[in-house]
Amino acid sequence: MDVRPDLAAAQRRAWSALGGPGTWWTGPQRVALAVTALTAITAVYPLAPWIAPSTVDGWLPADPVVSPGAHDAIYRVAAHAATLSREWYERVRGELGDLAYVEVVGIACTVAAVAAFRRSAGLPAWAVPEPIDGDPSRSTPPDLVDAALNWVRVTAPADETAAVVQAFTSVPAEHQRLWALADAQYIPNLEMVDPGWTRGTLSRPQMELVAARVSQLRECFY
Amino acid sequence: MLSWSGHHSDVDVDLDAVSSGRGDVGIPLGAELLRFATAAAVLAGDLTELDAARRALVARAGETVMVDAAAVVANFQMMTRLADGTGARYPAAHLAASEPTIARMGAATMSSRR
Repeated sequence: MDVRPDLAAAQRRAWSALGGPGTWWTGPQRVALAVTALTAITAVYPLAPWIAPSTVDGWLPADPVVSPGAHDAIYRVAAHAATLSREWYERVRGELGDLAYVEVVGIACTVAAVAAFRRSAGLPAWAVPEPIDGDPSRSTPPDLVDAALNWVRVTAPADETAAVVQAFTSVPAEHQRLWALADAQYIPNLEMVDPGWTRGTLSRPQMELVAARVSQLRECFY
Repeated sequence: MLSWSGHHSDVDVDLDAVSSGRGDVGIPLGAELLRFATAAAVLAGDLTELDAARRALVARAGETVMVDAAAVVANFQMMTRLADGTGARYPAAHLAASEPTIARMGAATMSSRR
């Protein structure tokens, strides 16, 4: 099966980056979190939203490289994102730190995107990459501010772009990876305002039909 | 975005069909894409319906179209988690103008509305 080179390259880059050091998590930690996200989204009978994996005997590795709270957070984002609340976020932020939490969401997003594409297209799943040693960059943008349109902090000025566009700006590496994926999987950002844009395969209404149905079934109001 | 792109393409999109998962939506390949998206929205379990939906789409439109449809599925498996994971919401003024569409899509009472 032929996969567009730009799409294949964007997904391969994002997937490989799961194994390397991130901004707030090491490579081994990112891999551990990715495994939990993959477990969550591929479970035929996932844990209920109110049951944290860390409270179930034998569910987490005996020697976890990340805290039980981080596993719980990525499991909830991966399996039950539509059920999240501001109160839940505030609790997780207090435990992980808000920027580390944004990276956790980014890992869940990458795992979901690549796993969904492989499954939908009838292609074999990719193995989670091997971890790469190294320290997280801890790179923090100097101009972080609270936003009205997101729970998470964003780079200034807040709320002058769509909430999803500013959502990951506090962790630029995740922001860049996610939007590189979106450009290849959906529509290049600069073309978003063109209702007639197409790659020559699906028309814009056809793309939006798929987008709307998936979002509806995932109960995502946004 | 679906209503907006349909309007600009002179297409009267049937949002009720999208919401129910049945019908041709009023656009070319609508029935096949709706079936494929519905089957692909779940990432676990039996592959029988997804395999059938994929074959039907490929038979009508070819493998390249199916791959691009799978890429859109992937994108919205990603973006829904980004939006809900970061508490994304629309400005109130934007929502007010979209209430009829929100109601037709059965989204008015979604727990992820904030």
